[in-house]
Amino acid sequence: MERIIFYIIAFIIIVFAMASVSSRKMLRSVIYLLFVLCGIAGIYFLIDYNFLAAIQLTVYAGGIIVLIIFSVLLVHHIEMELEMAKPLRKILTALLCMLGLGVFLYTIYNNHFNVVDNQVTTTTADIGSKLLSYDAGGFILPFEVVSVLLLAAMVGAIVIAKGKKLTDNNDTEL
Amino acid sequence: MNFSSFLLMRQEIILLTIILLLVTAEISISKTKKHSIVHLAIFLFGIHTLVGFFPTDTGSLFGGMFHTNALIHFFKNVLNVGVLILLLQSADWIQEKIVAQHRGTEFFILLFSSLFGMYFMISAGDFLMFYLGLELSTLPVAALAAFEVTKRISSEAGIKLILSAALASGVALFGISMLYATSGSIYFDDVIKMIASTNLTLLGTVLFFTGLAFKISLVPFHFWTADVYEGAPISVASYLSVISKGAAVFILMILLFTVFKTLMPVWENIIYIVALATMFTGNLFALRQQNMKRFLAFSSIAQAGFILLGLMAGNQLGTATIIYFVMIYIFSNLAAFGVVQAISLQTGKENMTDYEGLYRTNPNLSLVMMLGLFSLAGIPPVAGFFGKFFLFTAAASKGYYLLVFLAVVNVTISLYYYLLVVRAMFLRTSDQAIPYFKNKLYMRLGLMVTVIGILVLGLYSPLYDYIFELSKHLN
Repeated sequence: MERIIFYIIAFIIIVFAMASVSSRKMLRSVIYLLFVLCGIAGIYFLIDYNFLAAIQLTVYAGGIIVLIIFSVLLVHHIEMELEMAKPLRKILTALLCMLGLGVFLYTIYNNHFNVVDNQVTTTTADIGSKLLSYDAGGFILPFEVVSVLLLAAMVGAIVIAKGKKLTDNNDTEL
Repeated sequence: MNFSSFLLMRQEIILLTIILLLVTAEISISKTKKHSIVHLAIFLFGIHTLVGFFPTDTGSLFGGMFHTNALIHFFKNVLNVGVLILLLQSADWIQEKIVAQHRGTEFFILLFSSLFGMYFMISAGDFLMFYLGLELSTLPVAALAAFEVTKRISSEAGIKLILSAALASGVALFGISMLYATSGSIYFDDVIKMIASTNLTLLGTVLFFTGLAFKISLVPFHFWTADVYEGAPISVASYLSVISKGAAVFILMILLFTVFKTLMPVWENIIYIVALATMFTGNLFALRQQNMKRFLAFSSIAQAGFILLGLMAGNQLGTATIIYFVMIYIFSNLAAFGVVQAISLQTGKENMTDYEGLYRTNPNLSLVMMLGLFSLAGIPPVAGFFGKFFLFTAAASKGYYLLVFLAVVNVTISLYYYLLVVRAMFLRTSDQAIPYFKNKLYMRLGLMVTVIGILVLGLYSPLYDYIFELSKHLN
């Protein structure tokens, strides 16, 4: 049963991922990407990573996609269709991609993995205490560094968004 | 973990405090007095640099996620000195151009956050902290590259940097996931024990190397470099070519010499090819550049190729020569970028032909530029010669004579285009030579420190012995 569900989800992910990169309209690409992200959340549920699945749905499917849709809608030429590449370039790209895929699949399938039997379901409480733990296996330091990263990203976004007009207005106010 | 062990990460704590102080200052200082923030930031960072020189212990925190020793601490000091010089050189530009647009404080906040990321990147004890540091060191710089929002070319530089950085860090992350899959741990200490030369590990290593090669702008991952340097403000271009590259070289060296040590027979071949490609591409493209920023971009690509020669040694000698060379490179490149910055600020000119007859009008600036370029080229009396000489010795000590020979050929090529600039400045005369101007205090100080650095590093040999002694921490 699990196996069947996995294949269904995997099929959905692959089909929509291909549709997302091959669609010529921006908004459609974004919607296809939404399905891909939901499919990945499905896989997380399947392997019992409930918290990660919930995060995947809220942050990626909920937050990031809405953000991308907003920015696509703010672009003036939403009806614009992306240019078709030249046939020769298409074939070359396809060949290179298939070659890359072949190398990766070959290496991954031929690798002997140490299979670890894991029956423990990670609860949200465990994740919370791990995030605040400073012992081995705790994640408080990355957690704090991410907050600096977010601060820097916000400052950077404000700097770029504060365009010429706004700074000129400020000058006249003074 | 007791409270005093936090002293191990005091550089990070002080820098974070400065960032937060600047955020507070931005809110509390009134609009008419914003220019005082430049002095405040330089003063605070100067203190931070001085405090950094107190020695530190070896140790690790947070269950091994953060670790430090004398060598890492020393390298953080090198980065600090580089950033301080950079701040001195760009203070006038910030005062005149950026504070007027009410974005002066943001410049410092972004720059310091990026440096903060580099600290964690080089002190990382696991791949998670490494990756976070890499991101934190790159993301703010993309905003900095787009800092001159009124210029189209600057926004373009920002977008180019962030897109290629995102791609590179994605590839690196994929590589890290493969290493995790084969070793079952993200901690460097565990990976060292588990790493074996299976195909998947090798693939992961190559992908991981790609991510860092982008930061160092090695060929074939250098396509962003010239465009970003040309479009970005000169301070940011200088930061990317000096500080960002230095930190990435350092962490690459640490990882290759410790975590990936067992894979050395494999990565040696990769480095061999990449070093040759980088040196030749950088030098041959630099020959035909007219814009000084593009010229320095390709010269910095070529210099990165030389640094890789030190990696081929893979021992204490290699570590010491790389750190020594990176220090010299920081001072020399900052000298060159500083002069370009000073001239661009005064006249807005950035082309090589504009430098014709510079010696007659501005002898001091041309002398600083000449010293910087001679050091980059590796002409004997200045530091650059010893840096290159030691790197070649390190590579030759492992028997890579052909590589060293080709590197010497490249030094000859690079000598030609560095001397082109010197010829323009000293031998050519021009009717439209840049008129004489006097630099402000900060800029003069910034250029003076680079000159002292180039001379001291070249003439004071105990410094190299000290670095060699520190390098035993790694091997």
